[in-house]
Amino acid sequence: MSTQPEISQLVDHLFRHESGRLVAVLTRIFGIENLELAQDVVQDALVEAIHHWQYKGVPDSPSAWLFRVAKNKAVNQINKGKKKIPYSSDVMHYLQSKWTVTPALEHLFSEEEIQDSVLRMIFACCHPAISADSQIALALRTLCGFNIPEIARAFLTTEENIAKRLVRARKSIREDKVAFEIPAGAELEKRLDAVLATIYLLFNEGYNASNGNELIRYELCEEAMRLVQIVAGSKMVRFKENAYGLLALMYLNASRFKARLDEKGNILTMAQQDRSKWDANLRDKGLACLNEAGKDNKIGFYHLLAGISAHHSMAPDYKATNWQAILYLYDCLVNIDNSPLVLLNRSVAVCNVRGAEKAIEELQRIENIPSLKNYHLLYSTKAEFYIQLKEYSQAADCLERSIRLTSVPAEKQMLQIRLDSCKIS
Amino acid sequence: MKDFLLILRTEGNVWTDLSPEQLQHHIKNGGAYIGRLMKEGKLKSANPVDKGSRIVTSANGVLKDGPFNESKEVIAGYFLIQANDMDEAVEIAKANPIFNDISTRIEVHPMMPIGE
Repeated sequence: MSTQPEISQLVDHLFRHESGRLVAVLTRIFGIENLELAQDVVQDALVEAIHHWQYKGVPDSPSAWLFRVAKNKAVNQINKGKKKIPYSSDVMHYLQSKWTVTPALEHLFSEEEIQDSVLRMIFACCHPAISADSQIALALRTLCGFNIPEIARAFLTTEENIAKRLVRARKSIREDKVAFEIPAGAELEKRLDAVLATIYLLFNEGYNASNGNELIRYELCEEAMRLVQIVAGSKMVRFKENAYGLLALMYLNASRFKARLDEKGNILTMAQQDRSKWDANLRDKGLACLNEAGKDNKIGFYHLLAGISAHHSMAPDYKATNWQAILYLYDCLVNIDNSPLVLLNRSVAVCNVRGAEKAIEELQRIENIPSLKNYHLLYSTKAEFYIQLKEYSQAADCLERSIRLTSVPAEKQMLQIRLDSCKIS
Repeated sequence: MKDFLLILRTEGNVWTDLSPEQLQHHIKNGGAYIGRLMKEGKLKSANPVDKGSRIVTSANGVLKDGPFNESKEVIAGYFLIQANDMDEAVEIAKANPIFNDISTRIEVHPMMPIGE
């Protein structure tokens, strides 16, 4: 018999991996307006699993066991709720006929249909009717099996705040009649863009800032990669170049995840990172996806960003970086998206190809754009250019401004170190 | 795709007249048949008829209802399916494994779509 900690560890693991799939199938059955009910039934099944396994031991296939329990609970729920809850789902009538109930359940719990339900859930969670921060909270809760305290920890906010976001998300689903379906035709591509944008946001939440909770942040990145894998792997999605482009970008960036910080938690720049800490396995996965993304000769936003990331990944050291190629990719990127942020990142490539003076000129052209004016990275980037030109007092001004503008402690710290070195020089 | 209503008439009742083994066989094969139609997206709905049917008739402008008296043939249930044409609908009806379990007739009725 397994000990209790072993069982709860196993259940935790199972929960992460199977709860999203189970909630998706049960939502297909109950209808999306009963999303909370689907979550409750899954939770119930897990609790039952823990109790049962404590006494009888863990079965050979815990996953199949869990699905069977959830299936039975779903049937009980339907029979119990027939008069109370109006289920809107398109499969409900199958489940209320003696002839079709068993074949329908077998059908819905088949691997193919589970994946179909999960994809429906991805499209529902990333529906444009739901605000971006609620989309991410909802995706983590329903698709990734995160509980509310975990989501709150990942976003440095209170549990109450996350609970509110989830309530708002469910309200939008009800009021805007978000359908639990995979959009068809031209609508699919439009909605797919929105799905990828949400998942990219989720990834960046995990990747960008640092607050000492590196473990949970890496999990956000992993979940984001898993969700794009589902989208890219689906037969329903015909045009996959953007999904593969995004997946490539995520793998390549994630390959540097563990090298981003030093042992004190300070952020390291690309030039400072210990490249032996880069994960070759993730890099290779990223390069394979990049190849996949380029198959139909259409080049999109994520594809270009992934291309830039790949050049960094392939350089043996910072000096050997192919900046000429990176600048070329940035020039292509500007044609698709000439947002100030892209121009800011491009200036780093300009600096390495054409020199710091040219790069400062580039920044001077964009630094009055409202969205950049109070963006700390604009000033820290500019400071690096001044440091290259040995104009330390200008650099120090920029760094001071940047420190005032950021709220992330690790970033403040890194900028302070840079500022101190300017003052010595 | 067109809708077809399949009405199943059996001599005797599968639920009461088959032996437990026969019934188990019937449920297993019937389930596989229904599952296949579902997977192919051809089944809209299917239901067996419960006991206690009644019939409403009009005689000289007066509506009356009474028990639905079945002879030895009973309406076992219906399937509402989608098929490309009548030929396909007939093939689907022929594939119903209920024919192996009990004497059965299946009526295949095309449903009139909107605009015809």
